[in-house]
Amino acid sequence: MPTYKAPLRDMRFVLNEIADPARLRGLPGFEEMTGDLIDPVLEEAARICEEILTPLNRSGDEEGCTIENGVVRTPKGFKAAYDAYSEGGWGGLSSDPEDGGQGLPQTIGMVVQEMVCSANLAFGMYPGLTHGAYAAIKKHGSDEQKALYLPKMVNGEWSGTMCLTEPQCGTDLGLIRTKAVPADDGSYRITGNKIFISAGEHDLAANIIHLVLAKLPDAPPGTRGISLFVVPKFLPTNEGKPGQRNGVVCTALEHKMGIKASATCAMSFDDAKGWLVGKPHQGLRAMFTMMNAARLGVGVQGLGLAEVSYQNAVAYARDRLQGRGIDGVKAKDKPADPILVHPDVRRMLLTMRAQAEGCRALCAITATELDVATRHPDPQVKQDADDFVQLMTPIIKAMFTDFGWDATATGMQVFGGHGYIRDHGMEQFVRDARIAQLYEGTNGIQALDLVGRKLGAHAGRYLRSFFHPVLAYIEQHEENEAMADFILPLSKAFGRLQQATAEVARRGMGDPFEAGAAATEYLRLFGLTALAWMWARMAEAALQHPEDTTGFYKAKLATARFYMQRMLPQTSALVACIMAGGETLKQFEDAAF
Amino acid sequence: MIRKVGVIGAGVMGAGIAAQVANAGVPVVLLDIIPGGAAKAVERMLRADPAPFMGRAPARLVTTGDIGTDLALLADCDWICEAIIERPDAKRALYAKLEAVRKPGSVVSSNTSTIPLAALTEGLGDGFAADFMVTHFFNPPRYMRLLEVVQGPRTRAEAVAMVSAFGDQRMGKTVVRCKDTPGFIANRIGGMWMQSAINNAFEFGLTVEEADAVNGRPMGIPKTGVFGLMDLVGIDLGPHVAASMKATLPAEDPYVLGLREHAVITRMIAEGRIGRKGKGGFYMRVKGQKLAMELGSGEYRPSAKPTLESLALRNLRELAEHPDRAGRYAKAVLLDMMSYAASLVPEIADTVADVDAAMRLGYAWKYGPFELIDRVGAPWLAQALRAAGRPVPALLEQVGDRGFYRVQDGVLEFFGTDGAYHPVPRAEGVVLLADIKRRSQPITKNASASLWDVGDGVACLEFHSKMNALDPDILALIGKAVAMGKKGAFKALVIHNEGEQFSVGANIGLALFAANIAAWGEIEGMIEGGQKAMRALREAPFPVVGAPSGMALGGGCEVLLHCDAVEAHAETYVGLVEVGVGLIPGWGGCTTMLRRWSEAPRMPKGPMPAVAKAFEMISTAQVAKSAAEAKEMLFFRPTDGVVMNRDRLLAAAKARALAMVENYAPPARGTLRLPGATGRAALSMAVQAQVAMGRATPHDVVVCEHLATTLTGGDTDFIVETTEDQVLKLERQGFMALLKTKGTLARVEHMLETGRPLRN
Repeated sequence: MPTYKAPLRDMRFVLNEIADPARLRGLPGFEEMTGDLIDPVLEEAARICEEILTPLNRSGDEEGCTIENGVVRTPKGFKAAYDAYSEGGWGGLSSDPEDGGQGLPQTIGMVVQEMVCSANLAFGMYPGLTHGAYAAIKKHGSDEQKALYLPKMVNGEWSGTMCLTEPQCGTDLGLIRTKAVPADDGSYRITGNKIFISAGEHDLAANIIHLVLAKLPDAPPGTRGISLFVVPKFLPTNEGKPGQRNGVVCTALEHKMGIKASATCAMSFDDAKGWLVGKPHQGLRAMFTMMNAARLGVGVQGLGLAEVSYQNAVAYARDRLQGRGIDGVKAKDKPADPILVHPDVRRMLLTMRAQAEGCRALCAITATELDVATRHPDPQVKQDADDFVQLMTPIIKAMFTDFGWDATATGMQVFGGHGYIRDHGMEQFVRDARIAQLYEGTNGIQALDLVGRKLGAHAGRYLRSFFHPVLAYIEQHEENEAMADFILPLSKAFGRLQQATAEVARRGMGDPFEAGAAATEYLRLFGLTALAWMWARMAEAALQHPEDTTGFYKAKLATARFYMQRMLPQTSALVACIMAGGETLKQFEDAAF
Repeated sequence: MIRKVGVIGAGVMGAGIAAQVANAGVPVVLLDIIPGGAAKAVERMLRADPAPFMGRAPARLVTTGDIGTDLALLADCDWICEAIIERPDAKRALYAKLEAVRKPGSVVSSNTSTIPLAALTEGLGDGFAADFMVTHFFNPPRYMRLLEVVQGPRTRAEAVAMVSAFGDQRMGKTVVRCKDTPGFIANRIGGMWMQSAINNAFEFGLTVEEADAVNGRPMGIPKTGVFGLMDLVGIDLGPHVAASMKATLPAEDPYVLGLREHAVITRMIAEGRIGRKGKGGFYMRVKGQKLAMELGSGEYRPSAKPTLESLALRNLRELAEHPDRAGRYAKAVLLDMMSYAASLVPEIADTVADVDAAMRLGYAWKYGPFELIDRVGAPWLAQALRAAGRPVPALLEQVGDRGFYRVQDGVLEFFGTDGAYHPVPRAEGVVLLADIKRRSQPITKNASASLWDVGDGVACLEFHSKMNALDPDILALIGKAVAMGKKGAFKALVIHNEGEQFSVGANIGLALFAANIAAWGEIEGMIEGGQKAMRALREAPFPVVGAPSGMALGGGCEVLLHCDAVEAHAETYVGLVEVGVGLIPGWGGCTTMLRRWSEAPRMPKGPMPAVAKAFEMISTAQVAKSAAEAKEMLFFRPTDGVVMNRDRLLAAAKARALAMVENYAPPARGTLRLPGATGRAALSMAVQAQVAMGRATPHDVVVCEHLATTLTGGDTDFIVETTEDQVLKLERQGFMALLKTKGTLARVEHMLETGRPLRN
């Protein structure tokens, strides 16, 4: 059975020494966000995740969800865990106190989210979707809708979904067929079929609040004609209690590769009663509010799985005795050395570690900017912060989940053949990790978002939020001898990224195919450079603690060196690919595939 | 030879015609029926925007008077142009009076747009008829380049030639000869188009936005479309035009058959909602919100961008074949307009080329009707007409599956009514780069610029980037052209293009993107590269002549500042407008303006006046609104030439360049006397005064500081000589420093996204 121990030490390091706690405390409502307040939250979250959610991960995977006559049951123990989670207020951790939430920064929310994803990704889907639906109603719903739904979604009594996908319509939401017809009472009647609806039906909450994309009768074609509706499973009574059953049913559960304890439903809406959220035909904009937050959340899933995979791989590598170190015997008292001594095993473990810790830092600074973008009183500061979040969102979503897949596969690799055996739980991480590269926009779509939407927006203004601070950072430290091992590689990667950015933009203007052809490599190049910035900053922080005896900062520096020397050089290969252009993709005959 | 002109009638057209005559530097008498009316018209024009006068000097060439008392002022006029009320009897009565005062051999013309020439000469004798013709200008006369000329059977050929030559060479118009038929060419076809576009919009149930979207970019018509155009010219004009056409055209003419009265429009006119000059029209603005009228109900609603699928199509034929309502509408309008045009040659004009020229120049269409037919294909049009059960015009049958135009051996030819192709004629002395490009290959080219051999050893450097914005490619080609010239590939260089704008300046989108990714080295390279290119032009061992038309702003202005001479189209708009995007001129604009003002003969001596003048012009982004103004502001030299007719620009520039070849020596690098810190302090005080008056924004102050540092020579002193290289270095430093400020980045972004300056 895999185990999980929340990496609280590293989380505190990132929150206190890499992200800017003072900046966070400067935001209205966050003045009190000191370690005294945050530490107990993290410790309690760690306890729930380690003691309640982790033990349910394997069993949930084995048992899966079941459906009978439209009634979906979650695996044993999930209901109790969900209740404990809700009672602890975890679902509303970063929700508005006005709605009964804890009002904590999203920076903290993301850290807790990481723990949940490490412990039990499938479980995390239920509160995760609820939070997305909460955010959409919060931003676009009417006062009445907010009053009716939000408090119950925050306390977990009711859960939420996002109903976008239809059989013929995935990425291209313009193809939506679900219809909404106005009724006399100001509500709408929704009819259509949705698939891949996470948490679409289950036995955890008293009511399920579906947010549904549908088209009004007078809708213009394409994505400009989509509206957003709130469709509860049970129509709320005047007292706000679940009342009459609405015309929405789960017709089937998808049979999936992983996250088996998460109910992924095919939903049928048959004249279901719903209410418009926001303005007619503006549904996609409302959905994007959720989607940006949701994409960051999916990125965190990759991070969470990389972390738990690393922890179990390290434990195994210490215990498993096989062969002798190729440079000499290490454990003379034992029949064989632990496999930890082997260079390739060390390479695997350090790679996973550098991925997880680098991503954790990048996630924390991005989440802080998200908090600033949400709360800062100065619109200019708000916009600058939002620019950074906009830019980082596709990178975090795609690179983190690619790393999640890499790191879980690598963790399994450390186990050798045992990793392939279900009992060890390593193969579940692999299967669970795979979905994160696919949903909320495949990673290919994220790359297109980066080169298509984010690169050129406002003549490259989003880019400024990254390039200017990174250049300033390099210039600030380039004279510092102690930082040379980190600044030099960062500076090189940064130059490559500048060059590639200018080239992708230039070529993309002439021929969008070229931008598309470079997109995936470009996103990775960007992400690796961003992580190099994180590792330089982490090294800088570690250098402040020469007297440290715990080994924490020493390990940090060592990992930073590993990243700079053994991972960052991938950027040169990526630049070479990007510069080669898309000709080979374009010219290949369709028929020859 | 026309040395003095009389214009009678000081309405919008008469006054505008008089102003344009004055713009050509020719004295003009302007008379009006209302006592004092002509003088008032001149006053009004001096305040109007867009301005009918090209500066204050031309206004002084206008002598005003009253028709009742001052007809004698016309005695020494060589050409008298009548632009009074559109009533034949009134016009004839005036002509009769003119016979008593005008000098022998003078020419009388009418600016009528609706009355046949024949009706105007009735009963006035052969002598008058020999000197009489129609000269039909378009509104506004300064800016619209079409002049329709109609001669009667008795009109003297020399009279026509004299007025045509004056209209062409002095007033800058393209003269199109028309037959004496109602509405002549442009209004006949333009009127039919508007009628069809309006009728069919009702018929197919289009919104005004949809109709305007069809009658806009897809057809190469200005984006006002049809309803926006009605708002612009006045909706009340419609019934007048309709009445006049009905009175003069045969009853079976499709124009007459198509006349409809729309109750909604009648009501609009009755209520004074006659367009921009009235209480709104098909569109109006209420509290900043744009409203559009529903054609069915006459009610207003917020204007919305049309979303029909067909409107996203770029190909006109695909649009006309699309089954949605905008597609069906487009087809109906095109069939009406194109078949009407095809049925009117040779009735209204000798050639299809004349018709197309009239529509391009008189209605600002990108393509005339026959060019449009070529775009959809003559066989497609014929087939569509047959399918609709409509007659196919003989000319369309005759052209068959060929085009109305073709390029044969590098020459553009049109399809004649004789069934043969003939070269599209160019007036004597006109040289068009487009013609040269058709018959030759560029000497060298890249994505944004080309170098052409324009004959007699002269090369022409053409920009062709978007809006002719200056980018690294253009700078590279300037360098290459100079290098080739040094090796003797040509003996003089002209910088000219036939785009709408000569150049809107440096490509700030590229600069902003580079700034956003902190590619400072690249931007420094662009500034230095630009300075090098400008210096190469100035110091080339052969003459370089700039020949601009339209906007020459920022870097575009700096290119001209580094030419040895400029032959400018009268309609050239010049300025160093960099401060609008939070920058200062970085390609020698500051340096050159300092030099020009310090060398200007009328300037007071001392280090400050020239600096203060350059500072004032650049810090407020002053733009010359004509070539004449550009000379006053020293963007052009007093010796630089002004060409009224755009089609004659290249020929003039080429002649100028050739005249400079012999014994040519490039100007030497000079030095300047600049005031340094004391001058900077004086300018800062001036800026602070502007701030106190609320005229300068916080970022203006930042920009002005860098501009002041550059123009005063940095750490120099007026007792030492400052080299131009030093000032150029200051330009670069100021530019880079500003580009690193948030205020400037915000300004550049705002300009790119909205086209307007940000006042931050």
